[in-house]
Amino acid sequence: MLAKFLGPDMARWVLGWRSPPGPLKDYYRTDTATEDKPYTQVEMLAVDIETTGLDAEKDEIVSIGFVPIINGRIILAEAQHHLVRPDGKVGDEAAKVHRLLDDQLQSAAPIADILPLFLAALRGRFGVAHHALVERGFLSRACRQVWGQKLEVPFLDTLALEHRLMTRRNQSIADGALKLASCRDRYGLPRLRVHDALSDALGCAELLLAQAAHCSGKKPAAMRDLLE
Amino acid sequence: MSAEIQEVRDFLAAHHPFDLLPAEVLGDVARSVQITYARRGTVLMKPGDKVDTLYVVRTGAVETRDPDGHLLARPCEGECFGVRALLRGGVAVNRIEVIEDSLLYSLSAVLFQQLRQDYSSFSYFFAAFDGGRIGDAMKVNAKDVDFLTKQVSELLTREPVTCTPDIDVRQAAQHMRDKRVSCLLITDDQGSLSGILTDRDLRGRVVAEGLDYTTPVTRVMTPNPRCVQAETLVFDAMLLMSRHNIHHLPVLKDGAVAGCLTTSTVVDSQSASPLYMAKKVHGATEVAQLKAVISQVPSLVEGLASQGANTHGIGHVVSALTDAVAVRLIHLAEAKFGPAPVPYAWLAAGSQARQEQTAVSDQDNCVILHDSYDPVAHGPYFKQVMQFVSDGLNECGYVYCPGEMMATTDKWRQPLAVWHDYFRRWIEEPDPKALMLSSIFFDLRLIHGDASLFDDLLGNVLEKCRKNRIFQAYMATNALTHRPPIGFFRNLVLISGGDHDHTMDLKHNGIVPIVDLARVYALAGGIKAVNTFERLEAAREAKVLSTDGADDLRDALEFISMIRLRHQAGRIREGLAADNYVSPDELSSFDRSHLKAAFAVVKTLQAALASAYQLGRF
Repeated sequence: MLAKFLGPDMARWVLGWRSPPGPLKDYYRTDTATEDKPYTQVEMLAVDIETTGLDAEKDEIVSIGFVPIINGRIILAEAQHHLVRPDGKVGDEAAKVHRLLDDQLQSAAPIADILPLFLAALRGRFGVAHHALVERGFLSRACRQVWGQKLEVPFLDTLALEHRLMTRRNQSIADGALKLASCRDRYGLPRLRVHDALSDALGCAELLLAQAAHCSGKKPAAMRDLLE
Repeated sequence: MSAEIQEVRDFLAAHHPFDLLPAEVLGDVARSVQITYARRGTVLMKPGDKVDTLYVVRTGAVETRDPDGHLLARPCEGECFGVRALLRGGVAVNRIEVIEDSLLYSLSAVLFQQLRQDYSSFSYFFAAFDGGRIGDAMKVNAKDVDFLTKQVSELLTREPVTCTPDIDVRQAAQHMRDKRVSCLLITDDQGSLSGILTDRDLRGRVVAEGLDYTTPVTRVMTPNPRCVQAETLVFDAMLLMSRHNIHHLPVLKDGAVAGCLTTSTVVDSQSASPLYMAKKVHGATEVAQLKAVISQVPSLVEGLASQGANTHGIGHVVSALTDAVAVRLIHLAEAKFGPAPVPYAWLAAGSQARQEQTAVSDQDNCVILHDSYDPVAHGPYFKQVMQFVSDGLNECGYVYCPGEMMATTDKWRQPLAVWHDYFRRWIEEPDPKALMLSSIFFDLRLIHGDASLFDDLLGNVLEKCRKNRIFQAYMATNALTHRPPIGFFRNLVLISGGDHDHTMDLKHNGIVPIVDLARVYALAGGIKAVNTFERLEAAREAKVLSTDGADDLRDALEFISMIRLRHQAGRIREGLAADNYVSPDELSSFDRSHLKAAFAVVKTLQAALASAYQLGRF
């Protein structure tokens, strides 16, 4: 709502002002680059989370992986991968999907310990995610739980971008064509063999670089063209 | 602490040379990777650009070309590039362009140098890049050298060439020239080593810097160079040389300079066992003994190949053994039937003449008799002797030539005047079909007998060839009969169906075209040499062939021959007969792309030859 009335920058300022001192406030106090900048001159953070279910209001984050893309280069040295201890039990289904066991998760840190690391990495950067709605929803709720304020991130959604690009090229969009793996196939990117939050974050980062390269003419595409 | 990404680690672990790194180091390497994506057509580096990363292709492909536009390599998935730039102080020497949309991993130059320093096998892999063209790809295979037990002192063949520190660079250069060495050791009054000066230093530190010739040698030498003790194992010395990228290594014994180990002495030292074989040939008194020695040739070739000897060297060694067997048989024949009644010359033709045998193959030979030869009086003697020699060769495995190009055939055992007439007709009244059959006689080498007979014939033939452009054009047409197996889109064209389905014939479509090209250059330039490498070199000097053309063909020949040799060595190890049919599946992508580059060279020079002789008109 705030963003609608005030515009994103103002909304961030308000959220920052409302946030208690700490990682979330620090995050809001740092500006991201403007959207007219080419993607090769900005900082981004590709992120992927694994959750106990699909409902951002009920389900919980069990792992998070993120890796920065700085000036068009994915920097693995700054990649992070964390398991997160959920408050409740992990459902059997989710455990099967993520191959994470309750035992492993019980020894992990709670989300309140992990979020500061994530927010520190996110400072001054655009978010990148495949189907960003999930990351946006879950991470925002986590911030609300910890600091009482939501998380408002300018997210670059590789799924939405792919949808736009395919529509623009008049390609028909079959079932499953927008899955991360299918999108990667389209750009000749290698099949991912490991599926955890960090590998998928990397997979998404690589996809973004490929999409951005294909959106670029003589000059690299501006962030504005990639965001929405 | 950053997280390790298993995908990246697994990928590196599956590719050379990263697979040579210890597991924990590989994890660190994977963690430090940076990833970029480049579209087709992107130029990643141009000569002169600063380069601070090593690239590894994750998916896609790039193309490396030298400043003259020659294709050097096409790194694709799992292969590195940017190596030469890093080995040359971080300045790009080649142009690298993306030819397929590529996902690229990059590693920092600092890490690359650290790994090279810490892991000799890793460094050894890259040592091969620090030279130039296709030829370099071969050195990669030279790693299994059986030098674990040999000491450096065993390799020293000459006294060290030394000088005192008070001379100037000109005197140093003169000294090096007179002693025919590529490096000079500078010693002080007590005879202990104070510095080293190499050819390369004279180029880089004196000429390129424009220093005066009276500059004291001490100013340009490398002071206190790395050196080894005489007891050092050759293996360790080699590692040291490759790790520090040095080509000369002074050897000390009891504190004094004992000699200097060079890269070439190390390589030369590997032919010990063929010498032993040659000795046994010289001592043989029966054909059966010769046969026993020659039956070792396949394993000799296999051994030399696995030690990383080049094919030029192997060709010399194997051909020299063939020569020795022929000479020995002639001696045995003369012992049996008595001395020759008139002078004669026994000549080898074809691959033996060119010193390019890499296996026991057909025999091709002929005899020039002195003009005083009388068919009635002397005919039976020569027929008997030649039959004996030919039968003996056949028994040793040098089977009878199917085309009967042998001294046992009356037509190829003739007096000098008749030979002159043969060549006159071939050259002055060329008939394409006859020429194709006789082209083997344009590669001749004296093995035994009267050299003056051969010289007389050869001088005349070369002179005639050089002047006769129409004849050269016929030979050029001949040289285009066999084409490299590469298609318009640089794809490999494979044999389809039959016994050799999905393979390439590396002899007829790889080596023969180069041999044929070299023969045309040699005949056009009046060049005596018959060995293809020597012909190419002489053609370059005679300006019949451009320097680039000569370099490219030499490297192409060496590379194709090496691939064939490795294939044959592999078959010998499996107990199969060596053949020339190589499937692309048995090659690494590295070798495949170099092979394509080699074929492309042949194709280009064939086209150049066709246009030089306007062959469309014949």
